[in-house]
Amino acid sequence: MKLDSVTLAILGNKLAAVSEEMCLTLQRTGRTLYVKETADFACALAGLDGRFFAYPRSIGVSGFVGLECLPTIEAVGSLEPGDVILTNDPYRSVGLSTHLPDLHMIEPYFHEGRIIAYGWCFVHCSDVGGRVPSSISPVNTEIFQEGLRIPPVKLMKRGEMTPEVRLFLDANSRTPDANMGDIRAMLAALTAGRRRLEQTISQHGAEAVAASAKDLIAYAAQKAHAVLKRVPEGTYSFSDYLDDDAATRLPVRVALAATFKDGTVHLDFTGTDPQVATAMNIPSLGRPHAWLTLRILALVNTLDPTTPLNAGLLDPVRITAPEGSLVNPQEPAATGVRHAAAIRVNDVLNGALGKALPDVMPAASSGTVIPVVMAEPNGHGGRRVQVVEPMIGGTGARFGRDGVDGRDSGISNLANNPVETVEAEMGVEITTYALRPDSGGAGQWRGGCGMELTFRILTDDTNVLGRGMERLLFRPWGANGGKPGALAELIINRGQPTERRLGKIDVLTVNAGDTVTFLTPGAGGWGDPARRDVEAVLRDVTNGFVTMAGAAANYGVVIKDGAIDAKATEQRRTGLAPSNEANSQGPERERWDAVFGASTMDRINRSLVALPGAVRQRRRTEMFQSVLSCLPDDFPRSGAGDAAMQMARDRLAAAADSF
Amino acid sequence: MMQKHGSRIGIDVGGTFTDFVLADPRNDSLIYYKEPSTPDEPSRALIDGLKSLLEKAGISAGEVATIMHGTTIGLNAIIQRRGASIGLVVTKGYRDILEIARSRMPSSFDFHASKEQPLVARYRIVEIDARLSASGSVTRTADGAELDRVADELKALNVDAVALMLINGYTKPSVELDLAERLARKTGLAVTSAAAIWPEIREYERTLVACLNAYIQPLMHGYFAGLKKGLERDGVHAPILITASNGGSLSLASAADRPVETILSGPASGVMAAARLASAAGVTSIITFDMGGTSSDIAVVNDGAAALATRTDIGGLPLVLPVIDVSAIGAGGGSIIWVDDHGVMKVGPRSAGAVPGPVSYGRGGTEPAVTDCYLALGYIDPNGFLGGRMPLDKDAAEAALAEIGARIGLDGQEAAARAAEGALAVTTAGMATELYKTLAARGLDPATFALLPFGGAGPTHANLLAEEVGIGRIVIPPAAGTFCALGAAAADLRRDFVRSLRRPLTAESAQVLQEVFAELAAEGNAWLDREGEQAERRRIERAVDMRYAGQAYELRVALSQGCKAAAAVAEAFHVEHERIYGFRDAGTEIELGTARLAMVGETAKLSQQTIAASSGKPTPKGERRLFRKGVWLTAAVYERARLGAGDTIKGPAIIEQDDTTTIVLPGWSARTDAANNLHLERHQS
Repeated sequence: MKLDSVTLAILGNKLAAVSEEMCLTLQRTGRTLYVKETADFACALAGLDGRFFAYPRSIGVSGFVGLECLPTIEAVGSLEPGDVILTNDPYRSVGLSTHLPDLHMIEPYFHEGRIIAYGWCFVHCSDVGGRVPSSISPVNTEIFQEGLRIPPVKLMKRGEMTPEVRLFLDANSRTPDANMGDIRAMLAALTAGRRRLEQTISQHGAEAVAASAKDLIAYAAQKAHAVLKRVPEGTYSFSDYLDDDAATRLPVRVALAATFKDGTVHLDFTGTDPQVATAMNIPSLGRPHAWLTLRILALVNTLDPTTPLNAGLLDPVRITAPEGSLVNPQEPAATGVRHAAAIRVNDVLNGALGKALPDVMPAASSGTVIPVVMAEPNGHGGRRVQVVEPMIGGTGARFGRDGVDGRDSGISNLANNPVETVEAEMGVEITTYALRPDSGGAGQWRGGCGMELTFRILTDDTNVLGRGMERLLFRPWGANGGKPGALAELIINRGQPTERRLGKIDVLTVNAGDTVTFLTPGAGGWGDPARRDVEAVLRDVTNGFVTMAGAAANYGVVIKDGAIDAKATEQRRTGLAPSNEANSQGPERERWDAVFGASTMDRINRSLVALPGAVRQRRRTEMFQSVLSCLPDDFPRSGAGDAAMQMARDRLAAAADSF
Repeated sequence: MMQKHGSRIGIDVGGTFTDFVLADPRNDSLIYYKEPSTPDEPSRALIDGLKSLLEKAGISAGEVATIMHGTTIGLNAIIQRRGASIGLVVTKGYRDILEIARSRMPSSFDFHASKEQPLVARYRIVEIDARLSASGSVTRTADGAELDRVADELKALNVDAVALMLINGYTKPSVELDLAERLARKTGLAVTSAAAIWPEIREYERTLVACLNAYIQPLMHGYFAGLKKGLERDGVHAPILITASNGGSLSLASAADRPVETILSGPASGVMAAARLASAAGVTSIITFDMGGTSSDIAVVNDGAAALATRTDIGGLPLVLPVIDVSAIGAGGGSIIWVDDHGVMKVGPRSAGAVPGPVSYGRGGTEPAVTDCYLALGYIDPNGFLGGRMPLDKDAAEAALAEIGARIGLDGQEAAARAAEGALAVTTAGMATELYKTLAARGLDPATFALLPFGGAGPTHANLLAEEVGIGRIVIPPAAGTFCALGAAAADLRRDFVRSLRRPLTAESAQVLQEVFAELAAEGNAWLDREGEQAERRRIERAVDMRYAGQAYELRVALSQGCKAAAAVAEAFHVEHERIYGFRDAGTEIELGTARLAMVGETAKLSQQTIAASSGKPTPKGERRLFRKGVWLTAAVYERARLGAGDTIKGPAIIEQDDTTTIVLPGWSARTDAANNLHLERHQS
């Protein structure tokens, strides 16, 4: 590092604050929900290499600190003061944007005629056209259905908006005014960043500012290496599944081998399923992309909270993401709901890290974010569309700590909607918004509880959408002998004669008087439940997080008249089934793995990914059809006989050999 | 009973000292007094100190007209979770309202972060089968048996107090209030109705207002009763007013009913004092800068009015009551200076506190703090701290700073001074960045403001901060160390009232809005009638939150007296929207959100103390070496008490007073005005 200690401390602080000030400007002047309420935006300063050296800590999306601007900058050619680049295309920006609603802007900041840094910002805007309002739908099959693709272009030339670009933008959105409002806010943020950077240069000199950009990244890299050095060297493998790809019933596998060596980590996603024909693909372009590395960044930040947020955090990270796979799809794969897959990638990273650092990493969190949406007839032939609640679950337990009930910041940290504002705006009565007792995975430390949302419909012919529902099949896993959390459920008219239990829905039509109940999964427990402090179990029962029956069945703790029955508890605890790694994942996953073993799936996926796109999907579907046809329809919810299982395994082996 | 022209006394109970200011209208004098605080029993220092103050002022207990008092007892109880054991009654289906909160975690990047500790444990939350609809009709009524069940459960919980919240209760506060009264009768417990205390939409936040109120009420009741009794024993029968978080004050009875309105009163009083002082000095836009031992706070006063916030964080819990908007911007005098494993210098967030304190306190502190830097750089006199009552160990401070210097590669003669200057630069840059962000969030440019420092270290650090953020003017009040007490002495009576409407703006709803304002004004007037006769004049401020239909956020729009018709209300909103976002959507429907009314009872203004005019050129009492930008300068040292109005001093200079030291940097000069304020200004270069 070149700068002295005091100057580096001062500039580190000031430059990070420049990015935060940009965010505050954007938030203050932005117009849409994503800016105001969910803070789905960010701003930063990038160096001449296009990597961020200053990134906001307390506002906006923290995960995008590893994005790279250089391919976008290079795509437009030479730049002049007042130029601003706009793009939203994952493929043409080489992963700067990861789905089309994210508008990214880059402005070159000049000093004495030369570029000294770049200002960057992005906003999730309301709509960029495409097949459905708001542009994203899980069942889109190609990026062409997801809206207007904006390759890197100059939105602003020497301070003036390019009229042709504006015409294209306005013509290709359902909400052109709102978009332009957000675009203006982004431009205001870039201007605020430019001014404050100019002021910093006038105080400290251009040379010191340029040197600090390099030093700050080096400083963060040092810290990241120091944290990763604490991880025992070795290769740690882990895999997990998405229930399905939203169009078929086939589960989607995410596999990872993480190799730690001397303060570096190599994340190898070989063995992950081929890209899907729906919108869940993560366009990483093979780079150590934010969506594939979030948990590593969080690990560094958790173990050393003083680490500055910048590109240096990714310095120790190398990545292998096979082209044509879910985590590095080929154009024109759809990517609109890539965050659904990113949640599972986060779980897989967490699981692999947990093998290396069992006392640091938590068990799986509930691993689902469901914006429950209602579209009710507005009486004029159209529909009023509104989010009822963004439903999440809890966080996984870890050594020494129970998980958090009803909160999960793993992938996004959204605020919920006050029930009263929802009821004031829609024909709905929310009758229960609560935690779900007994849903947290049992363990020496208990997983966080999932949640219940029940609402009564007040208007006939109302649509309910539950996109992002996950963990209806494979449970959030426990760790170190902890039990998995409860599965998600969707129930219509619960407790009534007309009760129906549904699986995943895309759109559901209901009528006045119907009730809809979403139950989100609980998070995984940590450690053997038989070793949980009986007083902690009693406290959970007193508070209602665990029922008396749950205490007896899952923890072997017998409670009578509000006190522990010591003798019965002792008896019961010795009779509890032993904890092991297999039952940490739940019976469904155990059954699935009994057919679709890890090493076979690794081998198959390696072959599938190597096939040309069109063939890949067909071969995969044929293979699963052939194997699953030996098994019951609701496998792996229910098991199969030994003979059927063996036949399924044989068919899978044959398929593997045929590639 | 009321003695309109007797003395008014402002009292601020701080962690270390309880400060007193007595304003005597007969001779326009202000008398200051400090008494060491008694945190175990705060009213003791207050009662003892008051006696000494009256002695010092030479007036009798009977001549006191009003006592204005701010306290942090409630705030501390909340932060340390030491409040009453309370129960909570909520609509069936919402037992987890405090566990779920707004479902956010404090950090999305630290997976070891945990959520805030709920104010009420889940087992003490009882559901009741009662609620309203969004349009205000009662859709579930708790009948006799249900009410008995809830009452029995509450009694079995052995709680001290209860809060109650029904979903949509804000639409008709009387329904919930009635239920609260019935529950109170059945249980013999105090029951706070959320809808009655704060009828604003958003069930979680409203529940918290009620819970916080119930949580600190028994404690505050006890404190107020003890205080009143203690003062009466000493012959002080004057009405006691309690300062509020919104910058106003409440009678003792109101404060006992609604203690939640008083929890942030300390910092609010300081800001209000600054606003009044600056206006009187002809400066209408200021940033206050309160630098104490553990942290520094700023607040913005624009055009004479202190900014209010309607979402504040209290120990991890959001508070939606309007409070003077005070933001922490970083280090205080006790913040510790250290060097991390990678050789980067850091200041704070750990603080040396009062014990062991900075190294120079000689109380066992081994890590240097910001105050030690002031000493090493010559900013403060080791023998002048707290008026000389507490000598500081300069050598020890320098030795500790030299050690820091060695760790970042500084050595030689001036290592300690250079390390200290570096540490102050880091401190100031940290404050400056937070200040920028606070102003950026409001779209304001700091360069258009004057800085108004107070607190023990404010005037010492103010010039450094002003230089860093590009502020060209600083106003330093006469008694910077007892500023919050002064603010208390001058506080108006004030209460805020709300009612959420949530409906499209039409001719009909504009009429409803007027009716709501009339109801709120009646409520406010009735309240002021009960508060006593301190108010000389009444003032009403009206505002309403509005948005374009479908927009995700609301704008607060102040409405003038005559702004009543739908078209006028709409226009007021369009204008505000245009001012902030640069455009209007004249074709889009407008929605009314929450109506807000503030009832202010203005109290008599404190008269300004004046000082004698300058007798010519001020004479320094000596000089001191001051380290600045790597070299030692010679600065003249002046005694503030000996300055006359109009005296001008060129920097570098040091101006000392009992409770603080003002630094005037090279390139700046200081001028005294008739009200004994110091005006620091940057020279035109």
